[in-house]
Amino acid sequence: MLFRKKDCVAMILAGGQGSRLMVLTENTAKPAVPFGGKYRLIDFPLSNCVHSGIDTVGILTQYQPLQLNEYIGNGMPWGLNSANGGIHVLSPYSKSESSEWYKGTANAIFQNISFIDRYNPDNVLILSGDHIYKMDYAEMLRAHNKKKADCTIAVLDVSLEEASRFGIMNTKGDGRVIEFEEKPKNPKSTKASMGIYIFKWSVLKKYLIADNEDPESSNDFGKNIIPRLIEDQYKLYAYSFDGYWKDVGTIDSLWQSNMDILGDDPKFDLFDGDKKIYSRNYAHPSSYIAKGAKIVNSYIAEGSVVYGNVYNSIISTGCTVGKNAEISNSFVMPNAEIGRNSVIKYAIIGEDSVVNANARIGDLPEFYDKSKWGIAVVGKDKVVPQNRILLPKEIF
Amino acid sequence: MKAMGVIFSNIYDSTLGELTNHRTVASLPFGGRYRQIDFILSNLSNSGIYKVGLVTKYNYRSLMDHLGSAADWDLRRKNEGLVILPPFASGNTGVYKGKLEALYSAVSFIDNPYYDYVVVCDSTVLCNIDFKPAIESHIKSGADVTVISNRELNDNAKKHPLIIYADKKGKAESILIDSPSDEMSYVGMGMFIIKRQLLVDVINDSHSKGLVHFEKDYLQRYFNNGLLKVSVYEFKGIVLRNENIKSYYANNMALLQEKTRNGLFGKNPIYTKVRDEMPTYYGDDSDIANCIIADGCKLHGKVSDSILFRDITVNEGASIKSSIIMQGARIGKNAKLECVILDKNVIVTDNAELKGTPEHPVIVKKGATV
Repeated sequence: MLFRKKDCVAMILAGGQGSRLMVLTENTAKPAVPFGGKYRLIDFPLSNCVHSGIDTVGILTQYQPLQLNEYIGNGMPWGLNSANGGIHVLSPYSKSESSEWYKGTANAIFQNISFIDRYNPDNVLILSGDHIYKMDYAEMLRAHNKKKADCTIAVLDVSLEEASRFGIMNTKGDGRVIEFEEKPKNPKSTKASMGIYIFKWSVLKKYLIADNEDPESSNDFGKNIIPRLIEDQYKLYAYSFDGYWKDVGTIDSLWQSNMDILGDDPKFDLFDGDKKIYSRNYAHPSSYIAKGAKIVNSYIAEGSVVYGNVYNSIISTGCTVGKNAEISNSFVMPNAEIGRNSVIKYAIIGEDSVVNANARIGDLPEFYDKSKWGIAVVGKDKVVPQNRILLPKEIF
Repeated sequence: MKAMGVIFSNIYDSTLGELTNHRTVASLPFGGRYRQIDFILSNLSNSGIYKVGLVTKYNYRSLMDHLGSAADWDLRRKNEGLVILPPFASGNTGVYKGKLEALYSAVSFIDNPYYDYVVVCDSTVLCNIDFKPAIESHIKSGADVTVISNRELNDNAKKHPLIIYADKKGKAESILIDSPSDEMSYVGMGMFIIKRQLLVDVINDSHSKGLVHFEKDYLQRYFNNGLLKVSVYEFKGIVLRNENIKSYYANNMALLQEKTRNGLFGKNPIYTKVRDEMPTYYGDDSDIANCIIADGCKLHGKVSDSILFRDITVNEGASIKSSIIMQGARIGKNAKLECVILDKNVIVTDNAELKGTPEHPVIVKKGATV
């Protein structure tokens, strides 16, 4: 069987359980977590791929894939339903000699070597399914090809304090990576790996096979593959990215990145330019804003009906905000129902959940000890009873 | 029992004035994010009718752009799906005047032995209807043609294109064209169910006889001559007829009532073209009351009792009242609009003022700058 050769195939690592997102990912994979009113996390790498001219994408998933599979479908919402390439959801499967789960990021790619080989690509782009950013991978690929690199790693300049939370690239003047340190105590540089790699496929394949044979390896790109390549004198380059980028692996970062799209001059501008973020759209009518509703510095998505007050918040598709309800500094996920007179502050309300009348969820940080304050969370498909009080940081 | 659908895209073009100068009445925007045709396409698709022919006449570029592959209505299918039937599609047809004439160019599409029934529809009557019970009722009644109708009691002076009086079982007793409705009458919704073979015979026969109009030349004439059994299927839900500018304006405004919204959108989903707009942003100084608002807008001014389509910017100090603002409008600072219909991509400059009345809303042409 002959497949059309591809310059670059993208592989999105979407297998994570997202355990730090707790109730929000009990029944769903992290990449299917909602964002920004009508998106899901996976929309960002997928839309970036399409805008970068990459039309062959593998999504590696093994945790609660049902909702993600349904969401991806045939890839039509992203224009990835093409005859050559397109989108493929790749779950672990039984092979003749062995059958195993994806043990690590590198192992997930290793188990899909034959998928990538079908397209005979020059390069493979490795992405994460839970990062929020807009990036032109084509530009990164050009830099990669220009330097004749074996591996190019996208890096973000972070503050020195933050650097010890990331994988840090120490580079020479021309951007060549000479050392990689995972979460260093005393960082030598502030170039943090964004978990976005372009590898020359021939090189990566060799190292994936070797890595799989090493019983000591934890089969991870950051911990195993990259250090080995540096050790063996391959040409690794850092590619600096200066736009908005956020790993939304925690409740706080998920909440913060949603708040970052608010304002007339937001930190993360979803409106800019022609490069829209694509998502699967459901058939909702336009939103209805009733008389008496007050909406300030907020996003309201289609299919929502708002009778109450919304400040500095995001109300996703298909939500209802009851009369005299007050929502501030919060992210309400799709199809949630907020009962009348309920007050929601600094909170995330999960998909398809119901908050009944007069409930009070979360509070302002000012009134609490720093250690006791946090975002209050109502999980997916939950029903908060009437008059229920949920303190900051509390999870329902 | 298998049914196919046939939709007419240009029936009331001439009565909608400037709004249909550059588009078919089927592609007229409605209700914030829809085009009129979305309703009938969704109804057919939701009823399991996946073989659909769309008869067009002129101005159908915007319609084709909207429909694309019809995948958004689940009508892109391997063996069925949406087929656009332009005029001149077969040898000796051209631009037509009436539905019967128009159907002549679709006869080879309709004459498909796989289908037993044809649902023939206009695109200007908006409702959320399941055709399955209507077809069952048609079969049970033994009628040649079933007219899907509703009761219209509140507007007695208005003339309707098709009025039917029927007995308790729905058997038609008299058929009137361009007549007012009353408590006893049924008002045709421009949706007919007819046996496929009969329809093909009617089209061919009418072509030889030079008959043009489906309702007048066929339905009424044949019924009066005792050649046709006509039955009524009563639809009891919300029905909006966009026949002229006044009703178009009033029907958009009717969506501000919960009852209308639930009737039109509450039952089965109404699909439309996906445009991947952002959710709408409400700025610090926005003041929105009783409005339908689509995605992709940036709102800073004051908007009340209005319908806002996708991708509209309302700048600081602007005020919009009782208006319909179509996709892509830019409303300048301190501009004042009342009872206006802005067609697509209109720019309203700072401090501009426009005022109409509900009976005569001011219409601004597509792409104009005010």
